[in-house]
Amino acid sequence: MRSFGVTPHARSSIRVWRWVTVSGHNVALYLSLGVILVYCAIALFAPVIAPFDPFAMSGSPLAPPDATHLLGTNDLAQDIFSRLIWGTRATLILGFLGAAVSVVMDTIIGIVAGYYGGRVDEVVMRFVDVMMTIPAFPLLLVVTIFFRPGIYVTAVIMGLFGGLNGVRIIRSQVLTLAVSDFVVGTKALGAGDGYIMGRHILPNILPLVGVKFVTSAQHFMLVGIGLGFLGIGDQNLVDWGQMIERASQNGGIILGLWWWLIPPGLAVTVISLALAWFAYAWEERINPRFQVMRV
Amino acid sequence: MRLAYVLRRLLYSALAFGISVTIMFAILHFMPGDYITQYLEAIYTIAPPEVVEAYNHAYGLDRPLIEQYFSYLIGVLQGDWGYSLSYSRPVLDVVCEKLVWTLVLLLPATVLSAIVGIVIGAYSGWKRGSKADIALLNGMIFLRAIPSYWLALVILIIFAFYLGFFPLGGYVSLSALDTGIDPLDVMSHAALPIFTLFLFSVTGIYYLMRNSMLMTAGEDYIVTARSKGLDDPAILWRHAVRNAMLPTVTMIAFQCARMLAGSIFVETVFSWPGLGMLTYEAIEVRDFPLLQGILLIDTLFVIVANIGADMIYPFIDPRVEVGS
Amino acid sequence: MTTDEPLLRVRGLKVGFPTSDGLVKASDAIDLTIRTGETLALLGETGSGKTVLGMAILRLLQPNTRIEGEILYRGRDLLSLPEREMQKVRGREIAVVLQNSGTSFNPVLRVGDQIAEAITLHRGLKGPDAEAAAVDLLDRVRIADPARMAREYPHRFSGGMRERALIALALACNPSFLIADEPTRGLDAVTRREILSLFSEINRDRSVLFITHDIEAAATLAARVAVMYAGEIVEIGPVDAVLSSPVHPYTRGLLGSLPERGMRPIPGSAPSLIAPPAGCRFSPRCTFAVGRCEKEHPGLVEVGPGHYARCMLYD
Repeated sequence: MRSFGVTPHARSSIRVWRWVTVSGHNVALYLSLGVILVYCAIALFAPVIAPFDPFAMSGSPLAPPDATHLLGTNDLAQDIFSRLIWGTRATLILGFLGAAVSVVMDTIIGIVAGYYGGRVDEVVMRFVDVMMTIPAFPLLLVVTIFFRPGIYVTAVIMGLFGGLNGVRIIRSQVLTLAVSDFVVGTKALGAGDGYIMGRHILPNILPLVGVKFVTSAQHFMLVGIGLGFLGIGDQNLVDWGQMIERASQNGGIILGLWWWLIPPGLAVTVISLALAWFAYAWEERINPRFQVMRV
Repeated sequence: MRLAYVLRRLLYSALAFGISVTIMFAILHFMPGDYITQYLEAIYTIAPPEVVEAYNHAYGLDRPLIEQYFSYLIGVLQGDWGYSLSYSRPVLDVVCEKLVWTLVLLLPATVLSAIVGIVIGAYSGWKRGSKADIALLNGMIFLRAIPSYWLALVILIIFAFYLGFFPLGGYVSLSALDTGIDPLDVMSHAALPIFTLFLFSVTGIYYLMRNSMLMTAGEDYIVTARSKGLDDPAILWRHAVRNAMLPTVTMIAFQCARMLAGSIFVETVFSWPGLGMLTYEAIEVRDFPLLQGILLIDTLFVIVANIGADMIYPFIDPRVEVGS
Repeated sequence: MTTDEPLLRVRGLKVGFPTSDGLVKASDAIDLTIRTGETLALLGETGSGKTVLGMAILRLLQPNTRIEGEILYRGRDLLSLPEREMQKVRGREIAVVLQNSGTSFNPVLRVGDQIAEAITLHRGLKGPDAEAAAVDLLDRVRIADPARMAREYPHRFSGGMRERALIALALACNPSFLIADEPTRGLDAVTRREILSLFSEINRDRSVLFITHDIEAAATLAARVAVMYAGEIVEIGPVDAVLSSPVHPYTRGLLGSLPERGMRPIPGSAPSLIAPPAGCRFSPRCTFAVGRCEKEHPGLVEVGPGHYARCMLYD
């Protein structure tokens, strides 16, 4: 495939774009990373940062924001700001733990399928196809209402059910790697399969796995909070989804209590956005789409 | 040749369906906790043992698991999907009725998101790096980051509550009690949920189309088109789009299935009486047979969507013969 | 049949591609003329810049390519034309047969439609008229059953048929000037000969820039030959003169590497185009190089009637 005469818009804008993007990507990368770290810090230091116990009745119900209650109080007279701070934990746990489980599963399946190829690959991928017809989210709902698991188990179940999206990408990368020279060479030296998969293939697909981890984290955060929104979350923890649901059900809309309704949703959107941008900027870095000039 | 392929595809789908059903059955029945008790407690707050036992017997839950499994499987194939605890009607009936209403939302949303996604994705990819592309790309990333339930709420608040352009919920206005169901009225109720689902789904199609266009734009036949003296719009819309569009067909099917899950949130927020809202209700009252039926219909939906995409593909890509 | 006024005159053409490693100088100060009805063969290895030259004439290179110099077609500088005017030139006045026929057709459109598109654009024929004209063109390039093949998709065409169809596409609007980029690459010997004979017949009164690495094809079709190396023209002249009595060491090495003439490869490899050698670009590999060759950059020197070479030895 040659690469002449393509994207035909003005010369200067490509040049400008190139310059802007190179530094623009860095900006996106570091900014989003910063946001993610801030959220992690908030989650970690929640007991220190939050002015009130999130479950304690600390004022009068449905009070608008003031100096003590920065975001007012909800229908149970709990401080919304403190609940917002504490809710960070649930969000991050759901996202990162779920992503970890899902990515580990995807990677193992992807490596095995891609490395062995042939019949193994066919069988595994067919199995994956069938598994993907199972409606993950409704199944997750049913299991969590009947199981009533705590947040950690919920995250793990989410990861198990909602994974398998990344398998194809990982597998295709591994397929190419498995027939590459250095792998074949290592095999010729007598190295075992497990050794090759662990020491040679895995490190080479780590960037890909990393990006998948970040996008999965974004996905599972949204799904996990969604569970809370449907009233299924762990009742012992503060959960932004629950907050949104409570706000919309208990008069948040009618009474125009924007300080109750908007912040949790905004909080989810911001971290979700940060993760998405981080994943995008990182992917652009490791996956150059600029075409090679062949003369 | 074609017939053999279609048959094989259907057989494979039937198999996939069977396996999915089995897996779901296994998961649901190996869970701790007894759903009859949970149901009774959810509705009546108490679950006396005799009542539980009576329910168990009526629903055949005291039979061995294998027997339950096979009778369930056979029942499903015959159209007996169980009996809803909360609706007191066969599950299949309830599910089909609600499915229609969900389709009223899903189909327009799919068509809209496909068209818009393809068009702006193509333009974005073609003009890669331009202001329009960067704006669109970032806009889409932003849109995708918003949780669907929050998006639905915000849309409801802005357009229905504050601006009053659209009704607050339901699928008909109260006036329907007098005048019967008026399609225009239904449409005005459906507008916002369709819009929300559209926003939910268009991002995926846009992104894929854009990537596809990035690759297509570098192909040799695009150079050929330019060498003929065609201008930019002609090359983009008469050539590049046709090629870049091919992978989006599978994506559209995927998004359709994804919207079905998303409809749980959207329908709940807009009080739209479809499958999603049914799921929410069934969850509230722990109506297990109904939930099982919903899972079945969801699985079927995904399978049908995939078959649809597979069937369409040979028609749009002349290189692919049906059967390959 | 040639006239004195050249159809195409290239002056001082420089083409550079900005890359992360620096500017790739694919073509450096090219001067070239082609008269009406004349076929000029452009010989060179991969990476010599010959394809870039061909693409540059029609401005089919990437938008961020740096191009300097003049490309005068019938007196007008193509490089200074606005894009809209250039579109009128492409396909109508100047057409190109692109390098890889396998990927040069749009796989999801019918071949006949793709040819008819050019016809509708430049010749004003619509619908069935354009289709009929396309079928007629396929017939002229000796494709069997042209009416049926016009309705087929490119993947149904064999390699040779695709090459012919590509030629048909280029000639759809009867351009005065044709650029053919390696039309015989990858074809078997029989098909190659057929394509070459088709070529010579169909381009009898046309100016052709025949880009190739195939010396025999150049010998058959061209009146004049230009040899390119590392982005420069190192020898140019009448085909008999250049191919029978080559002057430049590179040309001699090229001809010496042919199977019929001994198959002696030229030692070394082509230089980097980002930082080409200061003096003569061929000097690192040249068996006749003297001290001067590495320090001074040679210009084109006349070594015979209409025959020029870029070499210190003849200065």
